[in-house]
Amino acid sequence: MHHAFKLGDAEHNLALSRSADAYRLHLGDKVLPIDLRTGADGRAWLTIDDVHHEVVIATRGDDVFVHFEGEAYQLRYEHPLKRLAEAGQGCAEDNVRAPMPGSIVAVQVKAGDNVTKGQTLLVMESMKMETTIAAPRDGVIAAVAYDKGQTFDRDALLLSLGPMVKDGAQK
Amino acid sequence: MSDPKRWPFHTVLVANRGEIAVRVLRTVQKLGLKGVVVHHAADRRTIAVKMADHAVEITGSTPVAAYLDGRQIVAAAKKTGAGAIHPGYGFLSENAGFCAAVEAAGLIFIGPKPEQITLMGDKVRARNFVEKAGFPVAPSAIEDDDPKTFVERAREVGAPLLIKPSAGGGGKGMRIVRDLKLLEPEIERSRSEGKRYFGDGRLYVERYIENPRHIEVQVLGDSHGNVVHVFERECSVQRRFQKIVEETPSPALTPELRNKICETAAGIARSAGYRGAGTVEFIFGQSGEFYFLEMNTRLQVEHPVTEEITGKDLVHEMLRIAAGEKLGCTQADVKAQGHSIELRIYAEDAARGYTPTTGPILTLHPPQGEGVRWDSGVQQGGEVTSAFDPMIAKLIVRAQDRTEAIARADQALRETVLLGCKTNTAFLRRLIQHPAFVAGDVHTGFLDANPQIAAEPALAETTLQALLAAAALNTRPMRDVADTVPDMHAAIGGWRN
Repeated sequence: MHHAFKLGDAEHNLALSRSADAYRLHLGDKVLPIDLRTGADGRAWLTIDDVHHEVVIATRGDDVFVHFEGEAYQLRYEHPLKRLAEAGQGCAEDNVRAPMPGSIVAVQVKAGDNVTKGQTLLVMESMKMETTIAAPRDGVIAAVAYDKGQTFDRDALLLSLGPMVKDGAQK
Repeated sequence: MSDPKRWPFHTVLVANRGEIAVRVLRTVQKLGLKGVVVHHAADRRTIAVKMADHAVEITGSTPVAAYLDGRQIVAAAKKTGAGAIHPGYGFLSENAGFCAAVEAAGLIFIGPKPEQITLMGDKVRARNFVEKAGFPVAPSAIEDDDPKTFVERAREVGAPLLIKPSAGGGGKGMRIVRDLKLLEPEIERSRSEGKRYFGDGRLYVERYIENPRHIEVQVLGDSHGNVVHVFERECSVQRRFQKIVEETPSPALTPELRNKICETAAGIARSAGYRGAGTVEFIFGQSGEFYFLEMNTRLQVEHPVTEEITGKDLVHEMLRIAAGEKLGCTQADVKAQGHSIELRIYAEDAARGYTPTTGPILTLHPPQGEGVRWDSGVQQGGEVTSAFDPMIAKLIVRAQDRTEAIARADQALRETVLLGCKTNTAFLRRLIQHPAFVAGDVHTGFLDANPQIAAEPALAETTLQALLAAAALNTRPMRDVADTVPDMHAAIGGWRN
């Protein structure tokens, strides 16, 4: 039982079980009885530990959006198998992702180029502010995903670096 | 003039998008006129396009480029029989060339004359004009006056000072200099930004007022020489020099100061023979001195707060003026009552440097009720993309006084449900509850001086539990696992992570 949701920058491990007539949330060392009654247009009534809350919920793929006590939150479900798989895979610094949505102003490298840590890879623009995207480590550019002028969303894969060769030597 | 047959045009084309296109169309149609909207394919399924009597698709290398294509817009007007064009704000609204092209095509531009756009569009030219006309401007040094002595004259303005590109706007390329030893390098940086963003490296330098307040005045002028002011708006709460909260009346003004600043604005508009709706912006110092900042020759984003306290429909006024009518009221007829606050709803992450956010609008329940107004171009089922400005809606409240207005705004923000794309609603609630804001004690550096407002507070444990409960129950794999495991096994124990 290894479920988790990402909320902001934090990951929360939890489990769900059920008794004859209700669900139970297992969080840390707490076990809480919970219930959800859905209405129209995303509205729902959540009961947790005998306290009732009116919420609004929407889902899309692995994301659950919740409006609770006047604020909106986004929780992303982390699939148990996916998390296991990702733990074994390459270095997180292979993928260079967009810190915010925007568009490409200039691309300074191409596939096959050797780069050093901190080297400017590309310049992006978001709301009339320019941001440089730098190489997170020494390496080789495996692929550049966008051209000048193209737009992308936050977290979009902009560039990927080739795996490090032993001793940090570059291909 | 509510009889459509008495207007010199039966159809108005709105050359804009999003919430302002909806706003303008609303009045156009209320008056019995037909409304046309031009739109890029990205906006095909938006409210304005649905509302319009006729929608014409325009193209561009980017969606923004389409709305900047004056030729396509004028062609669309001719094709649909629109006799007048309303430019909204942004895009071509302050483009003198576009205004002139509209008039040259035999159509009516719902705004000022091209030469008024030109005059006020160049900040240095506008400043000189206002100073010569006898109105207050901040001590300054303009490079063009004598480039060779510019740095010396800038030094004489004294610190703190602000370096600005002449062709600039929206706060871009502006640099504050507090130590005159840094003056020359800062001038060079400002110049290179001016060249990059506006294609023009000319500069001017102005005395910088510490903790200034931004107070602007709405004016209306007809083509018969009549000008009135429609009171002020305070827009001091800003981030990246963009406004977030606007209100009227300004909590900083005594009745005498209000009158003085509003009459100054009317005087400036009168000196320019201004026609249409415009806004004169001032920088207001803590000790009550104020200087002309710039004049915007278009309708402003925050115009609704003025409408809420005066009962005027500013778009209706713009149409009447464009149709050649007289203002039809004296200054004494312009009255205000109560208090109004506007909150700009941005698709952005306030806690992470206000970076823009994107996403589908899965659920949208706008706030409702007495004294609550929601002006938006987005709807449930739509999508917020990085193609356009992140302002997706305006929440405007009206109440008897400022305290009630703040309470109403907070309630409305709580009730606003927007799921699928992160917005600044929680941030806005923290902002308007901040003691300094409640006391009316704000200035343009307020948010920078209070970074804790933007920071997300830690989640209460009960909130976290509720969110995870709601999420778990809405996640199929989790429910499936729970449903397939009989309770008996759970009772055996150890059913934990």
